[in-house]
Amino acid sequence: MLIRYLIRRALAAVVTLVGVSMLIFVIARVIPGDPARIALGPMATKEQVQDLRNDLHLNDSLPVQYWEYVKGVSHGDLGISLYTRGPVADDLIKTFPATFELILASSILMIAIGIPLGTLAARYRDGIIDNFSRLFSLLGVVTPNFVWSVSFMLVFAFWLEVLPVAGRLSETVMAPPHVTGLYLIDSLIAGQWATFRDAFAHILMPAAALSLASIGQTTRLTRANVGESYERQYIEFARAYGFHEGRIAAKYALRPALIPTLTILGLDIAVKLGSAFLVEAVFAWPGMARYGVYVILEKDLNAIVGTVLVIAAFFLVINLIIDIIVAFIDPRIRLGVRGQ
Amino acid sequence: MKRIFFMLAVLMAAFAAPVQAETILRTDEVAVGEMDPYKAKDVADSILLYNLYDTLVFPAVDGSGSGVKPHLAEKIDIDGTKYTITLRDGVKFHSGNVLDAEDVVFSINRMNALGQGFSYLFKGRIKDVVAKDKRTVVVTMVKPYAPFYAALLRLAIIDKDDVLAHKVAGKFGEFGDYGQKYLHSNAAGTGAYRLESHDPQQLTVMRKFKDYFAGHAAKSPDVVRQRYSLKDPTILALMSRGEQDIANQWIGPETQRSLVGLKGVTMLKEPGIAQYFIKLNTTKAPLDDVHCRLALSYALDFKAIHGQRRITDEYVGAKPAKGPLLETMMGYDPTMPDFAQDMKKAKAELAKCKYKPGDHRIEITWIAEVSWEERMALLMQQNWGELGFKSDVVRVPWVLFTERTSKPETTPHVGQINFNARTPDPDAYLYPLYHSSTHGQYNAMEYLSDDEVDRLLDLGRSTTDPAKRATIYTKVIRRIVDLRPSIYGFQMVNLYPKRDVVMVPTLEKPNMNTGLMGGNLIFRLMEMK
Repeated sequence: MLIRYLIRRALAAVVTLVGVSMLIFVIARVIPGDPARIALGPMATKEQVQDLRNDLHLNDSLPVQYWEYVKGVSHGDLGISLYTRGPVADDLIKTFPATFELILASSILMIAIGIPLGTLAARYRDGIIDNFSRLFSLLGVVTPNFVWSVSFMLVFAFWLEVLPVAGRLSETVMAPPHVTGLYLIDSLIAGQWATFRDAFAHILMPAAALSLASIGQTTRLTRANVGESYERQYIEFARAYGFHEGRIAAKYALRPALIPTLTILGLDIAVKLGSAFLVEAVFAWPGMARYGVYVILEKDLNAIVGTVLVIAAFFLVINLIIDIIVAFIDPRIRLGVRGQ
Repeated sequence: MKRIFFMLAVLMAAFAAPVQAETILRTDEVAVGEMDPYKAKDVADSILLYNLYDTLVFPAVDGSGSGVKPHLAEKIDIDGTKYTITLRDGVKFHSGNVLDAEDVVFSINRMNALGQGFSYLFKGRIKDVVAKDKRTVVVTMVKPYAPFYAALLRLAIIDKDDVLAHKVAGKFGEFGDYGQKYLHSNAAGTGAYRLESHDPQQLTVMRKFKDYFAGHAAKSPDVVRQRYSLKDPTILALMSRGEQDIANQWIGPETQRSLVGLKGVTMLKEPGIAQYFIKLNTTKAPLDDVHCRLALSYALDFKAIHGQRRITDEYVGAKPAKGPLLETMMGYDPTMPDFAQDMKKAKAELAKCKYKPGDHRIEITWIAEVSWEERMALLMQQNWGELGFKSDVVRVPWVLFTERTSKPETTPHVGQINFNARTPDPDAYLYPLYHSSTHGQYNAMEYLSDDEVDRLLDLGRSTTDPAKRATIYTKVIRRIVDLRPSIYGFQMVNLYPKRDVVMVPTLEKPNMNTGLMGGNLIFRLMEMK
């Protein structure tokens, strides 16, 4: 049952990706500005601009351009970036792991802090923890992540000088041997503890800045959903049976409350891939979010389409993973039982 | 036994001897750092070009202020359309290959074939280029073209054998891709620094090239790390912690102010590279009337405009302009008066204009990515409002601005542009700004069509005698100022925050400024303290 469901979702994902590629292909070409002129600079002659337009097939009709693009993609060629002048695929391979590591770290913070805090807030409603979580969530949600970034940088890098300012590693530290592209994991695999410590120190501030809004949102969602669970009769029964409060919270209140929370979190994690731009910019984090914004500003057509496709694929994969997790949490979904 | 102990002690002492730590210079620039010198077009690319590669000529950096001199070339003889270039003997590329005439021929052909970067300085001008012998190259021009000598400042000489050894299939016949893939992330030059690693969005690491033909300053940095795309707060934090030595020129005034407040941080001043223009579309009413344009110019508060570029009393990012030419260029006339606000003259000019100030609304644009231009636009609105002109201040993203300025009817009334000198030759500055053949490019958004200006600019190109050229350019700038297609806000003084751990002679010693975009950050001349 589950496998059939997954196959159906995977096929839908392929159709979605094709649709996204067509849509973004057209949108990228509608943005004002001639990409050839932007790439060559203001002093290039008209002939030079025309030559480059021909190379990029920009003088062809949109269907022809799209066909040329699809032909390239089928060979794993996403074209050349006019921004970096290198193959788009290489740029994405180089930048994606950095952003993914950042998102992963911020998502861990979001789950590790947001869910327990929300559960405690629901359990001790209107108490000190609840009031604290409310203030914390509000601050997290209303303050843009670049403000957190700059504030963290001022406090921890500029005044206290306890955390590094920029990049993924210090200039004296070599990157670990490439396995996943995630320095924290690769350094652990290689047993390079010093590199791990350095990478950890570098990711702390950007991950925290990126996660605060999500922590706030997770806390509020969890609080609301767990609060609802606490009002159910089975919680009363559990209490009547004399179960420990911790067991009631984790097993009977939190578990059913996790399903809507996880669905929203899935979306939130995927959205981070695009919204990490400002955090990456402030901390000079060499990631894909920053790359994506620069290529839009430069009207770098191949890179725009490539970046959006990766974001869309990431979005679909994350949602698929969430669906699987939800299916495991909720047996009705796993067993294909419709709601009563 | 004693002897053995003694030898061991000597050996241990040798191993324990203190090792001289290498000096590292940390800088930053705006992304991306283009590694292929034939695709270079801005400051970051130019810095890479002048440190990893060499050119046949280069501005004198001996303090003599004697202008552009042979560099990789030993001498260049000019005879009408024929340039005979004699190369220095024994210059080595980073690969170990020795520079010869074939490398120069290959470089010129590659520049023309790729048609990118600064190739517009050469395209269509060269009839023939031949290696006469190992050290002699003869370049024949289609017709006399005086700016060619200065244009050579943008022609990096590359290692033909190294590039062809790494070519892959491409559209250039026997030359494959002309080594584009290889030169995207490798350098094949003779420069004072060789490339250690390069990520165009992140970081370039360069290391001193020991066999460099012109030598290094005694304390020049052993390693240079040039980062890209750092934001202002990041630069502030890095410099305050001593983790960055020179910052880029584009950071905001507030950050610059904070930086010079730090202990041991000053700012390098780089005049003569760029000018701030307020450009007027001369095809649109009321700016198609020269008297209206003059009225707007006289009404502008130039003191307030300069004030916008003030960081502290010591550091002001502007100095008065005297027309469209930079002070480092041939033909610049220091006797021309500074522009100043004069409302009496403004009203007198307005009275001669065929339009009433209220007849047309003026669209004043500012580039979305250059925040200080908004303040300039608001100042214009206020000053011109005093004459009765009604205007709208409009924020325009750069890509849209270049699109709009491609046709006179879509070009706004007023645009603001900082225009960089690609070479110190006045032709490279004035021709793209005011010759009618360049209409359609944002730099010529005035759409000035004046036969006399065109004639003088063409004459300046074809005249080879420097003295005669200087007279021509003085004449042409006077003519342009009379027509006032642009208002000359100020000459930019680029400000680079710098820690006192490094000395940059090109900007700190007299007569060393190269007047070349990206040409003052020459690492081999710098001294680490």
